Amino acid sequence: MPATKSALGLRTLAIRKHAYGLCSAERVLAIVAQAYGVFCRRPAAFSSIAAKSRRSPPKSGVGLRYKPTPQVLAKAAVFFLFGGVLFAQDPVAKGIEEFHQGDYAAAKITLEQALKRKPNDAHARTFLALSRAATGGCDAASNDLYDAFTNQQDADLRRLAGLALVECHLAHNRLDAAMPVARALQRDFPADADVLYEAARLYMKAWNDVVYQMFQKTPASYRVNQVSAEIFEIQGRYTEAAAEYRKAIEKNPAAINLHFRLGRALLLHSHSPETLAAARKEFEAELKLTPGDAVAEYEIGQILLAENKPHEAAPRFEHALAESPDFTEALLAVAKVRADAKRYDQAIPLLERAVRLQPANESAHYNLMIAYRNAGRTADAQREKEEVDKLKRPPSGEFTEFLKKLGEKAPNQ
Amino acid sequence: MIRFALLLAAFSAAAHAPQLPDFRNIAAQAGLRDIFPNGGITSKKYIIETTGSGAAFLDYNNDGLLDIFVLSGKGGTNRLYRNDGNGLFTDVTRETGLTSDGWSQGVCAGDFDNDGFTDLVVTSWGGITLYRNVEGRRFENITHQAHLDQSRVRYNTGCAFLDYDNDGKLDLFVANYVKFDVATAPKPGENPYCWYRDLAVNCGPRGLPFDRNILYHNNGDGTFTDVSDASGISKPDQSYCLGVLTGDFNQDGRTDIFVACDQTPSLLYINRGDGTFSEEALLRGAAFDENGKAMSGMGATSADYDGDGKPDIFRSNFSDERETLYHNRGGAEFDDVTIAAGMAHNTRFVGWGCGFFDFDNSGWKGLFLANGHVFPEVDRLKIDIHYKDRAILYRNNGNGTFTDISGRAGPGILERHAARGVAFGDYDNDGSVEILVNNQNEMPSLLKCERKPAGNWVILALQGTISNRSAIGARVRLTAGARTQIDEVRSGGSYLSQNDLRLHFGLGTASKIDRVDIDWPGGVHQVERHLEVNRIVTVREPRR
Repeated sequence: MPATKSALGLRTLAIRKHAYGLCSAERVLAIVAQAYGVFCRRPAAFSSIAAKSRRSPPKSGVGLRYKPTPQVLAKAAVFFLFGGVLFAQDPVAKGIEEFHQGDYAAAKITLEQALKRKPNDAHARTFLALSRAATGGCDAASNDLYDAFTNQQDADLRRLAGLALVECHLAHNRLDAAMPVARALQRDFPADADVLYEAARLYMKAWNDVVYQMFQKTPASYRVNQVSAEIFEIQGRYTEAAAEYRKAIEKNPAAINLHFRLGRALLLHSHSPETLAAARKEFEAELKLTPGDAVAEYEIGQILLAENKPHEAAPRFEHALAESPDFTEALLAVAKVRADAKRYDQAIPLLERAVRLQPANESAHYNLMIAYRNAGRTADAQREKEEVDKLKRPPSGEFTEFLKKLGEKAPNQ
Repeated sequence: MIRFALLLAAFSAAAHAPQLPDFRNIAAQAGLRDIFPNGGITSKKYIIETTGSGAAFLDYNNDGLLDIFVLSGKGGTNRLYRNDGNGLFTDVTRETGLTSDGWSQGVCAGDFDNDGFTDLVVTSWGGITLYRNVEGRRFENITHQAHLDQSRVRYNTGCAFLDYDNDGKLDLFVANYVKFDVATAPKPGENPYCWYRDLAVNCGPRGLPFDRNILYHNNGDGTFTDVSDASGISKPDQSYCLGVLTGDFNQDGRTDIFVACDQTPSLLYINRGDGTFSEEALLRGAAFDENGKAMSGMGATSADYDGDGKPDIFRSNFSDERETLYHNRGGAEFDDVTIAAGMAHNTRFVGWGCGFFDFDNSGWKGLFLANGHVFPEVDRLKIDIHYKDRAILYRNNGNGTFTDISGRAGPGILERHAARGVAFGDYDNDGSVEILVNNQNEMPSLLKCERKPAGNWVILALQGTISNRSAIGARVRLTAGARTQIDEVRSGGSYLSQNDLRLHFGLGTASKIDRVDIDWPGGVHQVERHLEVNRIVTVREPRR
């Protein structure tokens, strides 16, 4: 529970999200939600694969462009070298080339004929399935796509087959069938934009179907108000979100998490003293429902800090940590209280624990570095500085495109 | 009886409550009526529209009265206003040769040629301009002759003259923001870095390429040499740099440089004394906030706010961020004490120009911070973050904490503007410091405290003889009564702005100044004793 809620809670005060210019989580979700509306109105169709493939940047190396194996390359080379002479002799190469050209109808016919002559040609079968899927023949293609996805040795072909399979299942609303394929794709291609995109579409569709069902079957339930509030929240419409949370609370005053979410929505909307007080009231209400809610306790501490009441905040952080000893943000908050009091010997163990719990937590490393420095442990501070340096290093290539546009070298060059 | 006792208690409390200032905007009545354009008013297409511009208090004609210089974005001109000494300013831009065009950003002042007249540098998107002050009558653009032309279009922001090698000649530091070109810059909403709270807004600085800062060495013959690489100044290449604050933060007699940076780590260049600097902000605790997060640093100011004899640093940041107060533990090692100092609550403002100054002459410097968002579009959200916003005034409680008195410090503090550069100076020499604010697409504000501060004061006007004539880098330690205060003569600072080069000290109830110690950048240590209060004291550096 703390782990889940802390991520949400931290967006409000503790680590004010850096919305300026950055693509915040809320922004991403809002984009996703907006995009989802489009998906709802436009059923997925695999026929777009080819178009997407052609639109892919020529050197991107991603997208649905097929990266051929040496075997296929050899076939293509033969095709290019001997042209039409060999067409008749190798219809598989011709069909693959037609697929690459985006002429799926022709590819389908060519590959069907090729398979009559070479029924065991796995590449021909896979490309035929892809061509069928691209021309609306998902039913005919599904088995071969599945075979290719599970048995194909060529990773690129397997990826392509998997993506097509997900598209086919989505087009026929077979979400249960699509899920394991999407998960397997994510496992095997974790940094592939197309894979992640298809998975996101799938999960959004599943989410939307269930929400739609909720609105249909239980329109008067507090959960409908809650989910409405959450949607408003990710769209940045905090006033509407707060109103929906209040309706949900009115319907079910004993439901946990509603007061917490309301408090958070209030804080996202305004920074005024009145809002801080109102949000604190909600977190206190959450605590009444769930006395051991470390995150609500932590949020109250953060509000007290924002109200310039650090001495009142300190016991709230201590309590949050007592309730949830692995709650990293609470560890940091308590460590800071101790460091502020120059009790570095008491702060450092907490920070070391935070670093162990979350080795990639920049804030934990930074505070540990400062605590070591202030405690006179220069070598340890230097070591932590190196950790912070590593974590702060921008992902390579982040600005490369912009630099190229300006004719400049990348920063590290 | 009880009622009488309560009444007496209330009276007693009121009698001991510090007097509140009453700041009013007197710009129009003082003659500052020109509008200074700076990009779009309801929306801004490019980042260049968001960052300008600075302002300056300087005495260009050596008449003992501070004049005013205000920078403009495209569509206007920078303007110099001469102080006529009767509360009025006269626009002398044209006759002094300061008419300009383009996107001026920052200004810094200093007598780079030691001829007794204060020169000016104006930074802009495109380059820098060095204006040599010709005997207080006019300014001459000598950028080219001084070898300060830049080989490509650069987005120069903060600047400061400093004598980093203590050779008696002022060198020049120039911060750079991003590499920006209208032809290639993405448009609002074009990529994820062009959004703010679901609004398509101008892009950057994230997503735009970094640039590097510049250090020019003064050759002493009217020219400068770019020593950015040799000095190590150009080494940091991952920060979007704006406000420049110089100072001897580790108190080793050499001028260091702090640079407030936007969305990236702020920089602290430590002067090694051999002509080179090492950037050490991270380990020294001045790069990030207390969470180890890079803030959107804009402006910066320094003072020994807690009277421990060490210069501290304040940095203004973006909305949804706290401002940052760095306490100097000694040796230029800093702790973020924003929360403990009582400055944690103002998170809805985008802060720019800022300055520690003793508005009530109590002997403890308060803090003024001007605000205004970068995105005019934010007003469409109808939230409590506004494009034009009020300023913030903190009173120094003298115990390491501040009290926000913005709502009780006069209507001038509460006026809403898209403020940027702020300069501080006592333009009427009455011992009370005024505030000059450059507001985007509006008249500047000139905030004057209409209630005479209760405390005594002194203004020290330092003149270098061995050291640079402007005394930039001179460090002063003043003891009056029970208080000892420190300050330093600085060029640049605040947000892309220039404060009065003279040093103002509030003295509280002290009726005389026991001792003033001055460490001149040339190495001379000077002691003055038993100075009178409530006056301007000129101190010349003794020749060895």
